[in-house]
Amino acid sequence: MSVDIETMVKNIFFEVFPNLSESDFSWDKEQKNYEHWDSFSQLNLITLTEAKFDISFSFDESINIQSASDLLKNIKSHLS
Amino acid sequence: MNIVDFLKNSANKYPKKIALISENNSYTFSELWKLVQSFSLPLELINQENVISLISENSASFVIAYLGIMNLGKTVHLVSPEISEMNLTNQITSSNSSMIISSDTVFNKISKFNSIKIPIFHLTDIPKNSNSFSSKSNEIAYLIYTSGTTSEPKGVGINHSIVEFATKNIVQILNYSNSDIDILPLPLHHSFGLGCLHVSLFVGSTLILLKNSSDLQNILDTIKKYNATTLAAVPATLLKFLKFNENNLKDYFSNVRLVITNTTKISINTIENFKKIISHGNLATYYGLTEASRSSFMIFDEHTSFDQSVGKPAPHVNIKIDNQMSKSKIGEILIKGNNVIEKYWKNIESDKNIIDGWLRTGDLGYFDDHGYLYLVGRFDDVINIGGEKVMPDEIEEIVKQIDGVENVAAFGIDHEIFGQVIKLHVVKSENSNLEKLSIIKFCMKNLEKYKIPSKIDFVTNIPQTDYGKVKRFMLK
Repeated sequence: MSVDIETMVKNIFFEVFPNLSESDFSWDKEQKNYEHWDSFSQLNLITLTEAKFDISFSFDESINIQSASDLLKNIKSHLS
Repeated sequence: MNIVDFLKNSANKYPKKIALISENNSYTFSELWKLVQSFSLPLELINQENVISLISENSASFVIAYLGIMNLGKTVHLVSPEISEMNLTNQITSSNSSMIISSDTVFNKISKFNSIKIPIFHLTDIPKNSNSFSSKSNEIAYLIYTSGTTSEPKGVGINHSIVEFATKNIVQILNYSNSDIDILPLPLHHSFGLGCLHVSLFVGSTLILLKNSSDLQNILDTIKKYNATTLAAVPATLLKFLKFNENNLKDYFSNVRLVITNTTKISINTIENFKKIISHGNLATYYGLTEASRSSFMIFDEHTSFDQSVGKPAPHVNIKIDNQMSKSKIGEILIKGNNVIEKYWKNIESDKNIIDGWLRTGDLGYFDDHGYLYLVGRFDDVINIGGEKVMPDEIEEIVKQIDGVENVAAFGIDHEIFGQVIKLHVVKSENSNLEKLSIIKFCMKNLEKYKIPSKIDFVTNIPQTDYGKVKRFMLK
């Protein structure tokens, strides 16, 4: 199950960042190291995640997601 | 010249010609004029405001009462039969109407409204006066409360002179004549339908009045039966027609020289397909508000470059764009001319929208280099996402392309970081399994990233005006 969630999170990143390749993806790569991760991309990451997992992030959760790893951790906390 | 004179003049010119057909009853101009002259009201009940409310579906009785009230020198307050008790009460209070004249079907509804304290008369029970009145010219011919898309309704009183000016423009630009046979399935309590009635009375054409625009087959059969030359319809009706067999439609429309529609957004597909169907005629649209009737006209021809335009300003109507607040050519549309009201009905706040004769429409638009006007949306509807301006229409056009979406409304909701983000209300098609995720993914593929909706609710209906415009202020 955990693997499935991870795949889904990776896919979210590939959908929000169409130029991101598999080799460029890293769980711990932070927002500042993404060329196109601005505030609108952040919003779309949250929107797509909420729709995909049928969850709703709080404001604090939304602004503190700085990496794929952060996103995965927050999703898991909502699903547990 | 007042509106009643339109009929009087045509009755003098064409007394035996059929003026009006409604529910298989026909009236010559002479007969209609006599009925209007014999229309009478219990004058002792009428206060100094001289406003009489008329609530009815389309019918010959409606036309007779409408003209009859004006012939008595009174102002007609036109009301939708669908009106709620609260809205009717507010309108009666605002207009200071003396009495309500209602069709039988509406009477059953509104006679149960406890908050209505003025007399209500059946349209068919109005006493006939054997003495002919001479036409009086009351300054305000009719009063309509606009079904606003961004605010609560405002009273708009229309002078006879405005109607004369707008009618002459319509006739000149769209070439109406006494040889026309006009099909009107639009409600007469709205300025689009009412304008069509005025034109028919003015030129002495035959008007065939239908009760509604939802019975498409009846409209087509009526076109064929009477060999009609013009049809007035909203874009939504035209779109529904396109689901019929194209060759059959061409046959029905073979004698139609004009299909006139109004400024609700018309898709390019609808325009292009309808051009093919009325190959011997024209599709035309206009831009106008109740406050500034028929301000621009667009006749779609073989050139497709301007198909998204609402045309050029009507003769003696000035339109300008106020884009002082933005760097782009898009700005608020302002209109000045003899078709524009001088003030609203007892509404000082709304009167601030009219400065030196220029009406601030609240519509956003721009002119191209050829002088064609384009509508972008409503000034108040702009969604400001972190400084990026988004028109909801653009989002809606994209989402409507998704299978399973029957209707959609986009609007802004407050957001702590961005100020606003986009929310969608989506009506799913019957039996659709559409999911929010599919909508977001489609938007991500087809829209810039700041235009992606953040919230989506599936709803059963979207509040709209009679003409299909989304009432966004009700969604926020």
